[in-house]
Order: sequence, then structure tokens, then C-alpha cells
Amino acid sequence: MIRLENVTKVYEGGTVAANDVSLDIQKGEFVFLVGASGSGKSTLIRLMLRDEPVTRGTIYVAGKDITTLPKWKIPYLRRSVGTVFQDYKLLPNKTVSENVAFALEVLGRPASAIKPQVEQVLDLVGLADKAARYPRQLSGGEQQRVSVARSFVNRPPIMLCDEPTGNLDPKTSVGIMKLLDRINRTGTTIVMATHDHAIVDAMQRRVVALESGSVMRDEATGRYEQDVPE
Amino acid sequence: MSRFFFLVKEALTNLRRNALVVAGAILAVFISLSLAFGALVVNEVLRINTLAWQDGVHVIAFLKDEGAAGVPPGAHAQLQAEVETWEEVKPPVRYVDKNEAWIEFQQIFEGQDELLDIDPTILPASLRIELVDIAFYQSVKFRLEQQSQVVRRVNTAAEEIEQLENLSNVLNVLGLGMAIVLGLSAVVLIANTIRLAIYARRDEVAVMKLVGASNWFIRVPFLLEGMIEGVIGAALAVFVVWLGSSRLAEATQSFALFKLDVANRFFFQWGILFLIFGAVAGVVGSLLGLSRYLRDADGVGADIPGGI
Repeated sequence: MIRLENVTKVYEGGTVAANDVSLDIQKGEFVFLVGASGSGKSTLIRLMLRDEPVTRGTIYVAGKDITTLPKWKIPYLRRSVGTVFQDYKLLPNKTVSENVAFALEVLGRPASAIKPQVEQVLDLVGLADKAARYPRQLSGGEQQRVSVARSFVNRPPIMLCDEPTGNLDPKTSVGIMKLLDRINRTGTTIVMATHDHAIVDAMQRRVVALESGSVMRDEATGRYEQDVPE
Repeated sequence: MSRFFFLVKEALTNLRRNALVVAGAILAVFISLSLAFGALVVNEVLRINTLAWQDGVHVIAFLKDEGAAGVPPGAHAQLQAEVETWEEVKPPVRYVDKNEAWIEFQQIFEGQDELLDIDPTILPASLRIELVDIAFYQSVKFRLEQQSQVVRRVNTAAEEIEQLENLSNVLNVLGLGMAIVLGLSAVVLIANTIRLAIYARRDEVAVMKLVGASNWFIRVPFLLEGMIEGVIGAALAVFVVWLGSSRLAEATQSFALFKLDVANRFFFQWGILFLIFGAVAGVVGSLLGLSRYLRDADGVGADIPGGI
């Protein structure tokens, strides 16, 4: 579903955020990118979104090489990839349902098709009763659930999550993770950058550990910290 | 089609939900276009008035009495007929005979008995001549002076006419220059205000791009918003200047020397132009304001905090 081949990203000023990274992520996988701040987790997410161009290497998303994608086609890539960020990235002047609907408006769906889809996904994230609220009237956990609903409403094959629980307390984080787990079970591939030990250890999914932009460890059902042999 | 309606609806909703910023942009358009439109109206008032001042008699030719040496009877009428055929002259040329001259003299110096105590027969008959263009006064004066057997003396308002010409030219250039300078600064001010409004919403633009909105999908509502703000501001400016000018004209109706009433047609024609100008300025302002956030299709990154 996603393949990175020898991807290197060097920012202006010489910071190496990704160093010859190769990864192969299969359809339906749930992959954690873990590592300390500055290890290059977020950069990988942004490279997969073509939010940043690679310095070297190739990235395939759903079989397409996105590193050579012409700029005008980037919106099409983003429509097939759902995104969830630490700071929710909701539109402050739109209500909950308008925020979710926006992802469908962008696709040019007719209003008659948008309404039921929005209702359904708000039901899924448990916010059906808060559809008319504005983001500022919601708690952090609720805002993040709106963000998840928006990224999932058009059923993208891939979801990229950058520290989705970074601003949330542990209990709320568990709620978001349960939601992502449910979405993953529908066949959606999820890549999630995090430094939340508890979540990674509890989920028992594939873990890719990064350090200074390089892959240090890639385990099919790993933990946050490497097991020290006794 | 449904997409277009969605974008229009977006623009209207945004206008409603960003009321304060929208009011600021409309105010900027209103103030700058009021000044520009005001300058234009002042210019028009000056033009009307210099035209009015130019109306009337420009050259007076005082004639020798008929029957005096070398002036046969009928010479006055003959000269009047000839002058009327000159192309610099706007016919008819009015002939004022000695009797009329005396009546006029009495009117002018009414109450000043010592001046009226003269022999009425010494007042000459005269031709009152209006010119097609006051710039011709010198050539007309010269041609009249050639008729020295009938013409005694030629009077023109030469200096006054020239000064008036110069003044009206200077005022015209000044008024137009003001309107142009104020119009240009209006574009800059409007563009800047809308740019600031968009700056305040740059995160919103970043989120739209993140969700996969194309640049035009993001642009259209902003352009419509800018256009609506520009048109409303311009309409307010035209209305307020029109109201002010017509009220002022009513209040000063009794001034004989200076007329303030500008034709409604002038307001209508220029008003429409200003509305278009406001709309264009609004659209240009939005385009300029957005270009920074849409320039680079890869550029969501600049707005995503969180580092590498």
C-alpha cells in the first residue's frame, strides 16, 4: 500500500530528517512510527502526504510514485489519504458536521449524498448529538474525534496519523485508539507516529523505531522500547 | 453546478461568520473610494463652474457714431452682419444702440447722481460679441481693430479670461490627479485589508489543502467575499458622496456665483464605474492575499507545527 525506497530528506540548513529509509507497508496494516522528538517520525508522514518533497528516493502510495506527482495532482493524493494531527486541524468557522462534510464537498459529492454519510460517521465516532457545535465548544478528545471522522468520511484506503493522542489525557487517548482500531478493522491501512509508550505496548502492532532519521528496528508485533534479553 | 452553489454558499457563510473582519474591509473600501469619488465630484463642480463663467459676452466693440466723418448710415448694421459670419464668433451678435447704452449706464450707476450727470449722446453704440472659444479673443480683437473707420475701441476681458483659463486647467489637472492618486491608494488599501483578513485565516487555507481541496476550490469563496466587500464599500461611498453633494447643492442654491449641483447622470455613470472598480479591487486584493498561501502546492508544511 505504501512503499518507501531509500528515502532521504535533508532540510535546508542540513538537518537530516530521513536517512535512506526503506519501508513496505501492506494493505490493512497498522504501523506505529516511534522515536524521540526529532527522530523523523513526522517528516515521514509529511513525505507520504507530499507535504514536503523528498531529497532522494521514491515513495509509492497505492501503487503510484508520489515523488514525481505534478503539483496540480497533489489534492487528488490527499483525497485518498485521511490525516489526523495532534492539533486536530479543524476549520474554526464551521460546525462539526460542516467540518466533516467539507472533505466530501471537496470531492464534489452532491449534497444529498453528503448528509447521510456525515451522519453515519458522526455516529461512528459518537458525536451525533454535537453535530451543530463549533470546534471551540468541544473538548480536546471530541475535537480529535471530529478530525478522525473527517479523515474517514470518504473511506480512504490509507490514514496517516501524526501524534493523534499527543494533546489528550490517557483515558481519552484510549478512546481515540479504539476508534482507529475499529477503522483499521474495516481494511484501512493506518500509519501512526507517536511517542506514547502505553498505547504502542497495548496495541501489539507493527512498530518501526526511528533514530536520527534512520530505521533502527522494524518488528511485526513490537513494543515501544526494545526488549532487553534477560 | 451544485459545486458552484456550494462555493457561493461558502462565501456568504464566511461573510456572516467573520463579520468584524468583513466590516473592516468594507470600511477600508468605503473610506478610500469616498475620497476618490469626492475628488472626482469636486473636479466636476469646478468644470461646470468654469464653463458657466465662460458664458456671456467676451468682446465689446465700441463704434463711431453713424453720420460722423467716414461712417455712412447703415455701417453699424453692416459690421454686425459681417462679424456674425466670422467663424470665431458665436451668433447672434447683439447690437446696443446709443439709447440702450444710456439705459444700461443708468442701471449700472444707479444712485450715483454725479456720474449720471453727463450728456447721454457721448455714450457710443456697441457690438456685444460672444466667442465660440474664449481662446480666440486676440484674433477677434485684431480683426475688429482693422475696421477702424467704424470701430472706435475694442474691449476684451483678456487678462481675466486668460487667468480663468489657466485656473480651470490647473484645477482640472489637480482634481483628476487627486482622483487617480486616491483611486490607486484605494486599490493598495483594499488589497492590504483583504490580505490581512486572509492572513488571519491562513490556518484555514492550510487545512483545506490538507483535506485535498484544489487551489481554485479554496480561492473561489475568498474571491467572492472580496468582490462582495468591494461592491458594498463602493456602493456606500457613491451613495454618501451623492447624498453629501446634493444636500450641499440644496443648501447653497442661492449662491449665484458658484453652482454645486452635479447632474445625476454623472453620479450614475461614475457610480457604476466605481462599483466595478470596487469589485475588481476586492478580487485583486483576495488574489494577492491568497497567493502566498497557495503558491506552493507542497506548502501545507509551513503551517503545520510540530517540527520533524
